[in-house]
Amino acid sequence: MNVLKVNGKEKTFAPDKMPATIVDLLKLLGIDSATVVAELDGQIIERANFAATALKDGQSIELVRFVGGG
Amino acid sequence: MDELIIAGRKFNSRLLIGTGKYSSSAVMAKAIEASGAEIVTVALRRVDITNQNDDMLTAIDRDKYLLLPNTSGARTADEAIRLSRLARAATGINWVKLEVTPDPYYLLPDPIETLKAAEILVKEGFVVLPYINADPILSKKLQDVGTATVMPLASPIGSNQGLKTRSAIEIIIEQANVPVVVDAGLGLPSHAAEAMEIGADAVLVNTAIATAADPVKMAESFKLAVQAGRMAFVSGAAAESQKASASSPLTGFLRNE
Repeated sequence: MNVLKVNGKEKTFAPDKMPATIVDLLKLLGIDSATVVAELDGQIIERANFAATALKDGQSIELVRFVGGG
Repeated sequence: MDELIIAGRKFNSRLLIGTGKYSSSAVMAKAIEASGAEIVTVALRRVDITNQNDDMLTAIDRDKYLLLPNTSGARTADEAIRLSRLARAATGINWVKLEVTPDPYYLLPDPIETLKAAEILVKEGFVVLPYINADPILSKKLQDVGTATVMPLASPIGSNQGLKTRSAIEIIIEQANVPVVVDAGLGLPSHAAEAMEIGADAVLVNTAIATAADPVKMAESFKLAVQAGRMAFVSGAAAESQKASASSPLTGFLRNE
């Protein structure tokens, strides 16, 4: 099984079900990518590069967005 | 009202508004509108992957308002820098309200980590608006490293206690060569007016508006108070004295002395 750490939680995928890119992961999670920014193994990935960024077993990804704040 | 200029950008409103604690995005949008604010703060958090909520950004017209991401939640300079970079990637905006608050009980800002982060962020091209305790020396040091404002607290975040740090803020205002934005703890329009009367360039309000019974009306109240306070400041306050000073003539009384 492949493992991705998404926002601190481990998610396991069968090798053939592993999302190939950040766009695929967002689709799988039902997240609207227009409002999200990602950090893959500590590197910021801009939205424009989500489709081109491949995901690999063992990586850690943070998905963040704006919320209300003062 | 005279214009507020931060980092070369002009604003007609001297009220900055936060977006936390609103009961709904719709109420928030109406309150922002009523406040007349042009700068709106937001926070950055992990997407809740189990429970999708509607995104804040969709409720805020970005052509009309400058989004000011904060680094709330950061406990160190490194965490604040990481959040700032993420915020910039998310918005394309290089403005950041720098907050480093390691103490969860009073949410007081860490001066050493804040100064450290400010210096690095300014070098990276950010327009930095640091949230600080009302410390005149720290204010000077932040200006020296190139922050766009200083944002001293009136009282702890969300406490609605008003301008407890008044005398220190007066010193900050006297010595500042960047705009002074009084942030945190302003609970009533009169608190905001007081901050403006002593010469603050702007105030930032969130909790007092968002958690009022009628946030939209309260937003307008703050708008008017900030305008009144600013107008009073530029009018030059009359002198205070210990004794009475009659407003009516002290001659021509209808009595024989």
